[in-house]
Parts: sequence; C-alpha cells; structure tokens
Amino acid sequence: MKAVELKAVSFSYDENIEVFDNADFYAEFGEVTLVAGQSGEGKSTLLSIISGIIPNVTEGKLQGQVLIDGASIRGMRLGDICRRVGVVLQNADEQIVHKLVGDEIAFGCENLAFPPEKIKRQIDIVCRLLKLDPIWKTRTLSGGQKQRLITASTLAMGQRVIILDEPLANLDSEGAAELMNTLRTLAYSGYAVIVVEHRLDVVLPYMDRVWHIGEKKISLVQDKYLYLQQQSTVINDFCPPFSGDETLLDLDGVGFKIKDTEILKDVSCKILKGARTVLIGENGGGKTTLLRLIARLNKPTSGNITQYIDSRFKKNYKGNKAWYNKVGVVYQNPDYQLFMQTVKDEIAFGAESPEYAKRIIELFGLTAIAERHPHSLSQGQKRRVSIAAVAACKPELLLLDEPTVGQDYEGLCELVHILNALHKESGNTMITITHDMRAAEALADKAILLKDGTIKAEGGKALVRRYFSLRPILKGRRRCANRRMQHRKSYINSARMAKGYKAKRKIIKYKISK
Amino acid sequence: MSFLRLKKEIYPLVAIAAGLFILLFGLIMAKTVESSFFLLAVFVWFWIFGWKRACLHILPVFFVVGTVFFLIFYFATGKALSALYIVNRLAAILLGIVPGMGTRPVRMTRNLSQLRVPRSITLGMLIAMSFPPLLAGEIRRVQEAMKTRGAGSFLSPQIFYRAFLIPFVTRLVAISDTLALSVETRGFSLSKTPYTVYEKESIALIDIIFLFGLMAGAILMVVL
Repeated sequence: MKAVELKAVSFSYDENIEVFDNADFYAEFGEVTLVAGQSGEGKSTLLSIISGIIPNVTEGKLQGQVLIDGASIRGMRLGDICRRVGVVLQNADEQIVHKLVGDEIAFGCENLAFPPEKIKRQIDIVCRLLKLDPIWKTRTLSGGQKQRLITASTLAMGQRVIILDEPLANLDSEGAAELMNTLRTLAYSGYAVIVVEHRLDVVLPYMDRVWHIGEKKISLVQDKYLYLQQQSTVINDFCPPFSGDETLLDLDGVGFKIKDTEILKDVSCKILKGARTVLIGENGGGKTTLLRLIARLNKPTSGNITQYIDSRFKKNYKGNKAWYNKVGVVYQNPDYQLFMQTVKDEIAFGAESPEYAKRIIELFGLTAIAERHPHSLSQGQKRRVSIAAVAACKPELLLLDEPTVGQDYEGLCELVHILNALHKESGNTMITITHDMRAAEALADKAILLKDGTIKAEGGKALVRRYFSLRPILKGRRRCANRRMQHRKSYINSARMAKGYKAKRKIIKYKISK
Repeated sequence: MSFLRLKKEIYPLVAIAAGLFILLFGLIMAKTVESSFFLLAVFVWFWIFGWKRACLHILPVFFVVGTVFFLIFYFATGKALSALYIVNRLAAILLGIVPGMGTRPVRMTRNLSQLRVPRSITLGMLIAMSFPPLLAGEIRRVQEAMKTRGAGSFLSPQIFYRAFLIPFVTRLVAISDTLALSVETRGFSLSKTPYTVYEKESIALIDIIFLFGLMAGAILMVVL
C-alpha cells in the first residue's frame, strides 16, 4: 500500500490561478521522496494538500483523490490528518513556543494525548536521533539546531508519513548531511519521508524517488542524476579575471565577543577594491558577524577595520546615512528592507538619480512588476527587488548575506548573472556569504574560508572549488552509499537464510533492482 | 511520598496566589513602618523558596526607582516616612511579580490545562509569554534594516513610520501565520479533542509551608 497517493488531483486557489491539473503523485513507505521544481510551480501547495492544510486552512478548489495510507482524507479535519502525516514547515525559529527543548518536543505528543511515559520515551528517542538535549534552552540554539528541534517535535508524534518543507534552508553542509542521514534512517525503519527542497546537489544522493513539478503536472523523474546535472550545474562566471591590488578594507586582528562567547578571533585580511569576495564556511563560523562588523552594524570588541572608502568615515565608527549610501547591505530576508508602495518607488528611494533607478529596474528585469506593491511579490522577486533597491544607491561596497537562499535553479542563474552584470557595470566591491556551491564560484574573485571564528584559508576560485568538493555532504553521499550496501548485504543474508526458490528469486530481483 | 519531597518548585497556582496576596496586602499595609520589615522578610522567603534569580532581577529596578521616588517624596513633603511608604508600595509591586517571573510559563499552562482551563487560553498565555524576546529581536532587526536603507531619520517621519511599521507588521503577520500553522499541524485543536499533560503539577508539603510562612508573616505584622 502506498503511503501517499494523489489521483487526478486538480487544484486552484481561485478561478484564475490553477496550480494542478489532473496531477498524479505517490510516495512509498521505506523511501525518501523528493519533490523538486521551480519556485511558484506548486511544491508548497502539494505539501499543503497532503497535510490537509488545503482545504482546512487555505481555501481553494480541490478535486481528485488524496489517499494517506490507503484512506481518503476528504472531509477529514486537520487535527485528524496530522495524526497520520507529520509536517515540518519552513522558518523553524518562528514556530518555537517553549523555553526548553524537551517541552517543545512534548507539545505535539500532548496534543495527540500520549500518556506521559510514552512522551518521555519519544523525547529520548528523537533527541538521540537528532542530537538534541531535552534540557537545552530553545532561544540559545543555533539555526541548525532549531531546525532539528522542529523536525524532532514532529517525529516524536509518531506519524509514519513525514513531510519536510525546505528543511535545509538554514543548514550548512554538515548539518544538512546529518539531517539527510537521519531521514534515510527513518526511511529504513519504514517511514515515508517526503522532502521539498531546492538544494538538489545536497539531497539527491539520499533520494529513492524524485518528482518534478511543472506545468501543472507532477512527473516522476526517471534518471535522477541527469536531472541533478540539469538543475545543479555550477554557474559560469562571465566577469573578466580580477587584477587590482588597491585595498578597500584592512582588517587587523578583528575579534568579536558576546558575553564570554568569542564569535570572531583575530581575523586579519584585506578586501581589495573592485574584487568580488565570497565568505564560505560552516554555520556558526562567524561569516554573518564579520559582514555585520564590516557594515558597521556592530563594533569589533578587539582589533581594527580600516576603511579606504572615504576619509570622512574615519573618525566616527557608527554607520550613518552617508555610510550606508557607500556601503549597501542586503539582508537574507527581504521583508525587512521593503517599505514603499511600489517596486518603482522602492528602487527610487535613495537612488543616485531617477535615471539610474530606471537603469537598475531594467537591469534586474523588474519592469513588468514596477507598479506592484513589493510585499505582494513572491519571495524570489522580493529578494531581487531588495538587492535592486540597495544597488540603486550605487554603493561602492555591496554586502550580500545569502542572496541565493530559496531560489530555484533558473532564478539562481538569473540572480548571479544580474549581480555580475551590476559588478561589471559599476565596478563595485562585493562581499557575498553563500552556502550554494552552484553560485559561489561565479561570485568569487577572492574567497575567505572561516571556521570557528578564524580565517582558515584565503584564495580564489580554486579555494571555493576545493571547499565544496571536500564538504561533509560528499562524505555523506559516501556514507549513504555504504549504508545502502550494508542494507543490501543484510537483506541478501536474511534472504539466504530463508529456504527455497522464493528467497533465491528475491535475491536476484533485489540485485537487479539495485 | 511525592507530597513530602522538599526539593520542588512551588505549585504554579500557589505562586500566583502568593504574588497577588503580596501585591494587595503590601499596598494596603504600605503606610506602616512594619510593612518594610514584612516585605524584606518576603524577599528572603522568596529567595529561600527558589526564586533567587527573579529576586535578583528586581533588585536593580528597586534600588534605582526606589531611590528616585524616595528623594522626590522626601524633598516634596519633607518627611522621610512618607518617602518610605512610597518605597514600600514599589517593593510590594515588584515582589508581587516575582512569583510570576520565577515560574516557567510551561508549568503554569500545564497546571491550568490540568484544571481543564480552555486550551485557547493556556496556549495564548504560553505564546504571549514567549513572544516578548521574539518581538524585541524583530524590532532590533527592523531598526537596523531601516538604517541600512537610509530611512532611520526622525526628520522625515513619514518615511520613518513606513520603514518601521510596514516591515514590522509584515514580519509579525508572517510569524503568527507560521506559528498558527505549526501548532495546528502539531495536533493542537480548539475543539474538544483529548489531550494529556506531560509533567503534571501537584501540591506538596513545601507549598503549604511556603503559604503558611507568608500568612504567618502577614498575621504577625498586623498583630504586632
């Protein structure tokens, strides 16, 4: 019996916007299933349909059959569906209501009326599985730990079908590999795991089945490695090789501490004028802190950052309006930086001149949506608008914190090309934080690898290549392959133990299928 | 046996009752010198019964605001006693909130859930109590973002208001949407579906000793 099955499902939010037309989909127990596709094609809608959020919370016209574990969920309340399907939503930080990890995990179990002894058992199991401690305080967890916590609180509820919406969004490669290994373990234990994710290069090795959503249909991908190749080829860099040697920022023994926790230690490096620098490294390495110090959003607790952008900024360390005209900061979440009534006004606000604002609108391909309210746009479009709005001030230094998060491959390619076109045109200095191997090389003349608050290595594109090729995710792939091998061996051994022709046939069949 | 154990946090409802009692009794009796001793004794009592951290939290506020009030009233009335009574009132208010500060929100909500208080109230309480740090973080991030966009000046109030309110409200709506969906998908329901309480709260001997001590102090103060 299939864990999840959609038969001839059609769905539209209203009469005009049809998301699915006669679409079929299924996921099996014991498998990890990936749902991929471009932004806005309906991945989250599919997740909402399976989890009962549609039509219970979000309204729309839903037709066709949705079966969970063989039973139709039509007419069922969300409260009943969630007993069969566990959902891990995006933005873990916004979903935590308790102060302690153990209490947060217990929340779902209490709602399902588990007896206290069982809740305790479940907490122990999922904490062990996801490397959490029940007595940790939730507010002090890192982004990756919060993601694991929300995943744990869903797993503890014991549903056999688990859906995860972009679970890797805030995880570095090590965290991502750990989570994917956990999901594989769950699948081996008989769970059906469905993952909606953009980072195909990271997740694909762990997947048993891949579905692509596009043109209102859901289609099964036959050759997942060909699909991966199509979706995750490293983006080409069309900027000429960098050759300058003028220093724009000189970091000398920079350190940053919060209470007793040292986040950055003795960071010394030079940022060259007109160069594109990428900051790479695992979560918690100090990349965002370094970017904030450069942006003057925080002051170093030790060391100095000498800037050669403008002599008038030498006396006062505090960032003011004049400083932020020269230094553009783009946040990871565009919602914080958009406040005007139309995209056109947003970009014109603070722009060097109306003509330059117009040029930026064209460069970023925003002409068609220039009259729309920025907050009515999709997340990918908002991100582009926020970068355009900052770029319109013609900053000499552009700081970008994870500009590629949540972008599908097409959107990612477009964004990287726009950033490079802007760099080529304006000759700005760019510092970008990214975990995306597809984009990192294309945005790098120089690269700085940060680990545990210190600079581990400096280099160029070769360093980016080396870093991403040695990432734990690749070890994860090998580990995954090894586990599959072990799984296969144990299966064959157990089959050998069984007598008769049926067992032999099973072995042959299994070998062929693998 | 669990009734007799001494190392236990105070029963949440007893804590709230104690807070209310101190607040009301302290305000009513503020105009006596004895109430200063009584409130000092309550402070020590709270400290002994495990609210050390909450007691430490109120101390700086008490010293700063108390000194200011004392000086204002002393110079306004010329009487040290009138100034002391004001400080007594402040102490009663601050001590009244110590039990609430010292009790983990989840214990309070679980206690109320045990007593079958509607879950909309208990979850609402829990979220309301965990929201302030989240809210403070959001305000800080929005203010920083305003600065980076060059919209942080009070000189153009219209832009200031837009650049603060629009991202702030957008974020709040996004957070509450996600949170609501998250609790629903984790099985929370407002309808009468069965639920359990993971760690049940129960009254123990220590709660009775705690309440008895407070009452005895209050009676002694009135009698003496």
